[in-house]
Amino acid sequence: MSSEPDTPDAETEYQHDEDGGPDPEKHCGHGRGGMGEEVTRKEDKRFITGRGNYVDDIKKPGMLHCEIVRSPHAHARIEEIDGSRAEAMDDVVAVLTAEDLLEHDLATMPTLMDDTQDVLVNDKVKFQSQEVAAVIAKDRYAAKDGAEKVEVDYDVLDPVVDAEEALEADAPLVRDELDDQEDNHIFDWDTGDEEATDEVFDQADVTVEEDMLYQRLHPAPIETCGAVADWDPGMDKMTVHMTSQAPHAHRTLFSQVSGIPEHKVRIVSPDVGGGFGNKVPIYPGYVVAAAASYVLEQPVKWIEERSENIQTTGFARDYDMTGELAATEDGVIEGVKVDVLANHGAYNAAAQPSKFPAGFFNIFTGSYDIEAAYGSLTAAFTNTAPGGVAYRCSFRVTEAVYLIERMVKVLADELDLDPAEIRRRNFIPSDAFPYESATGWNYDSGNYEKALDKALEMADYEHYREEQQRRIDEDADKLIGIGISSFTEVVGAGPGKQCDIAGIEMFDSADLRVNPTGNAVLRVGVQTQGQGHETTFAQIVAEELGMDVDSITVEHGDTDTEPYGLGTYGSRSTPVAGAAAAVAARKVRDKAKSIAANELEAAEEDIEWDRESGEFHVAGAPDRSITITEIAAGAYMNHPGDEEPGLEAVNYYDPPEMTYPFGSYIVVVEVDRETGEVDFEKFVAVDDCGNRINPMIIEGQIHGGLAQGIGTAMLEKVTYDDNGNVTGGDFMNYLLPTANEIPNFETGHTVTPSPHHPIGAKGVGESPTVGSPPAIVNAVVDAMSHAGVSHVEMPMTPDVVWETLDEAGLAHQPAHNVEFDLGDGAEPADD
Amino acid sequence: MKSAPFEHHEPETVDEAVSLLESLDDPTILAGGQSLVPMLRFRLANPDVVVDINGIDSLDYLREEDGSLRLGALARHADVEDSDLIDEKYGSFADAAPLVADPQIRNRGTVVGSVAQADPKGDWGSILLAHEGEVIATGPDGDRAVPADEFFLLPYDTTLGEQELITEIRVPEPGPNEGSAYHKLKRKTGDYAMAGVGVRLVFDDDGVIESAGIGMTAVDITNARATDAEEHLEGERPSPDLFATAGELAAEQSNPESDEHGGADYKERMVDVLTQRALGDAAERAGTVTVERRVTQ
Repeated sequence: MSSEPDTPDAETEYQHDEDGGPDPEKHCGHGRGGMGEEVTRKEDKRFITGRGNYVDDIKKPGMLHCEIVRSPHAHARIEEIDGSRAEAMDDVVAVLTAEDLLEHDLATMPTLMDDTQDVLVNDKVKFQSQEVAAVIAKDRYAAKDGAEKVEVDYDVLDPVVDAEEALEADAPLVRDELDDQEDNHIFDWDTGDEEATDEVFDQADVTVEEDMLYQRLHPAPIETCGAVADWDPGMDKMTVHMTSQAPHAHRTLFSQVSGIPEHKVRIVSPDVGGGFGNKVPIYPGYVVAAAASYVLEQPVKWIEERSENIQTTGFARDYDMTGELAATEDGVIEGVKVDVLANHGAYNAAAQPSKFPAGFFNIFTGSYDIEAAYGSLTAAFTNTAPGGVAYRCSFRVTEAVYLIERMVKVLADELDLDPAEIRRRNFIPSDAFPYESATGWNYDSGNYEKALDKALEMADYEHYREEQQRRIDEDADKLIGIGISSFTEVVGAGPGKQCDIAGIEMFDSADLRVNPTGNAVLRVGVQTQGQGHETTFAQIVAEELGMDVDSITVEHGDTDTEPYGLGTYGSRSTPVAGAAAAVAARKVRDKAKSIAANELEAAEEDIEWDRESGEFHVAGAPDRSITITEIAAGAYMNHPGDEEPGLEAVNYYDPPEMTYPFGSYIVVVEVDRETGEVDFEKFVAVDDCGNRINPMIIEGQIHGGLAQGIGTAMLEKVTYDDNGNVTGGDFMNYLLPTANEIPNFETGHTVTPSPHHPIGAKGVGESPTVGSPPAIVNAVVDAMSHAGVSHVEMPMTPDVVWETLDEAGLAHQPAHNVEFDLGDGAEPADD
Repeated sequence: MKSAPFEHHEPETVDEAVSLLESLDDPTILAGGQSLVPMLRFRLANPDVVVDINGIDSLDYLREEDGSLRLGALARHADVEDSDLIDEKYGSFADAAPLVADPQIRNRGTVVGSVAQADPKGDWGSILLAHEGEVIATGPDGDRAVPADEFFLLPYDTTLGEQELITEIRVPEPGPNEGSAYHKLKRKTGDYAMAGVGVRLVFDDDGVIESAGIGMTAVDITNARATDAEEHLEGERPSPDLFATAGELAAEQSNPESDEHGGADYKERMVDVLTQRALGDAAERAGTVTVERRVTQ
């Protein structure tokens, strides 16, 4: 990641502002709702009062409803589909199969990794609940009733669900339709210097190794996927309202799949009820709805049910990893190795930039200055749903961070070193930035020790270490464990030359228009799913133009009106579109100066802008000042002769580098030696995402992500039986944490600005989901490490923990420590 | 919810309900909908006819009468959770109510409906067994009282007749030397039990256990009694050893299966743990002993 991007000079100029840019640590927002102010979220009024507008709220005259018939088998050849009984039903309009789609050349669609997936199964079902046929009816009940009447003859085949078994010679072939595919192997990938790393391992004082599975997870947004497709034969135009995190990219893909020219495709992503990466891919349901609308010339709605979402939506993780560290006897880490077996499901559909088949997994050197690193990965097809899509994790960063943070704990235990101390001995020093890692990534800025020290203080670390020892000494029923994770994230893709989605470079955009009456509309190419963009991006403009935050409206999600963007995922919105918003605002400010000069009857070079007051004034004469509101009026009513009227600017921002937010999390748990139950005693999260735009929104993001981290560590796993049946296909079996499972979080922050971002900000949305699972697992392991426990697999349900306790000889007999007092005169019984 | 179409009847009296059960073809009774509604939603249940008893106001009660606690068919889990009477006198009910499902479901789901559903992972069946309670089944021939021991047959299968509905469950009012408790282990709020144990202990005036009832959740094909443990306890004074052996006996008598909630061995072990914990609480509530955990933390 070290090559120089070709950023135009003009953008570099705006990127580094004349006054050094905002510094929220020094002055916060100036009372206008700019940087650093806890502005109440603009979007919450409509959400809290039930006036949000989600895809399922969209209703159109004559709208039909689509229900998808799904395969009960994981691996089966379709012999025959008979839709006649469904078609004979009163309210059923049509039954669609692959045959119908083939007529319109819509039978397949590209995945985000350029694989080809059946929209409706043409020949062979490759995972359970794969889309086989679609019933279009006048209402959704009739569609569901009709789907039950579609008869499908299957020739059931042996499935393979486990990645290791899939690579065995006699494994069933998942992708027999591909000419060059003779086994289930998809690709091998490696990074780093194998030879140099082996050498370091050969000569090291100590090496440790640990196997760990980052289990398959479900992104579980509260809103499932859905679409309302509306083909207008009069306009030759396809409008699709859909649950999309990346409406423009989806427009391009829709156009490519359908052959409808891109200017005749409009994608609208209205309010979106959570995404977490689930809504980055294209799903067959969207295409079926669009195809049905095209064929029937009526609007068609498809809304996925919860179980359909869990069973088929782009999953996350499923990385089976072996980590190794080489170190000196003082705990200085010299080398890291990792080998991964990745289960990609039935199609290669991971959401990775095309140059990085394993995403950004090479961040596995973490926050540490490690001389040698080597990583290798093999990906396999299985008869499971496709995915590998980010779940609040930027492109496999979550897996990488889990690996390194777990391994550091394993090494600390091997050397009997305090896990905080061993981290200190290995952190990349704060004066070493920008820092190039052994896998070739350029870290922009960091101060890891500062964040760790703050977290240790907040967590009352020494007290809990003493308490931990006391309980061990007294053979108490509940053990204390303290887990640390000092993670480094990499977020904010591009640069476009290195990062793309389906070939489109990962820039992003902002279009800022100031109205004659002094308020403004900012249109952005990213799409909020709960991140608070309508507030945060308005704050950026407020900061950069001296406007009040309430006078700025942020629009997003409609490809007919918004500038092209790559969407919201991988914590990229603030690093990329946020930068575009700042640059667009600075361009407007530049033009505003010439209007100010005209209004104030001064030379343009004498006009200064004051960030504190938000006003423009004549140099040396602060009284001769003008606000952006007055300037806006001038731009439309009294524009200078040598300037165009109006006051607006567009910026397409291609980031020069990614940003590297980081943090230290400390988790204290109590482990019940009788039952294996784990309770959280303390949960401290110190984050550093550079300059902070809206601390309240950041804190909300942290809280939500930590809750998801707890779900990952304690509860969640998508499981399959040997027949390829999803055994956790509903929320009774796929367990999400509720408020009851979430402890009190204590959040803190440090601020290490990104040197290349226009306002010094980094992404933050995913840090807590990335950083917390290893802290939690480290804590549970730490409670038992005195008895030699080095790892516990996620999810750490009570039975899993109890079995670990039992094997380590730590499980307590019930009533181990009980005495009974029988009251008057009776002798206390002894156990 | 996109259930298959069904016919919906709303009787306002028990008599009306019974005559509907008599006249309709294979009707399904809807009370709180805690189990039926998800089954309709998944189309695992596709009844042609549903008899919705929520309009029968006379079944909405929780009271003591003639020496027993009585819960009508419309008493919700939340009614038990919020009841002062339960808090004062019925420790096992007070323990169990807040552990059932989640608050939304407790507002709607009924205790009787849960017993009628006869899911071995349901909590109330174990409590009914531990208290040696009764199920009142009302049909064309009037009421009959079925002892809890004779009610559960198989998962989701009971001795309730096709034309009967459960109008009430009852358990004996506790005497002065009696205590009860329920302990449940689950992975999260709203999850079914990994294992659960309900206990009722009756002591004589000398502190000897006169009668013991133990019901187990999620560790057999129905809610099941731990009779070996009960026998071991009766006639003895409480002690950690006594309860430890009772725990082991209950675990031995349990018959759990490995599933997503945990392995069979683990569940057996947890029956032991939960039995001992529940016995300790029940004995304390009876005022017989004070249980002291030497090192609690």
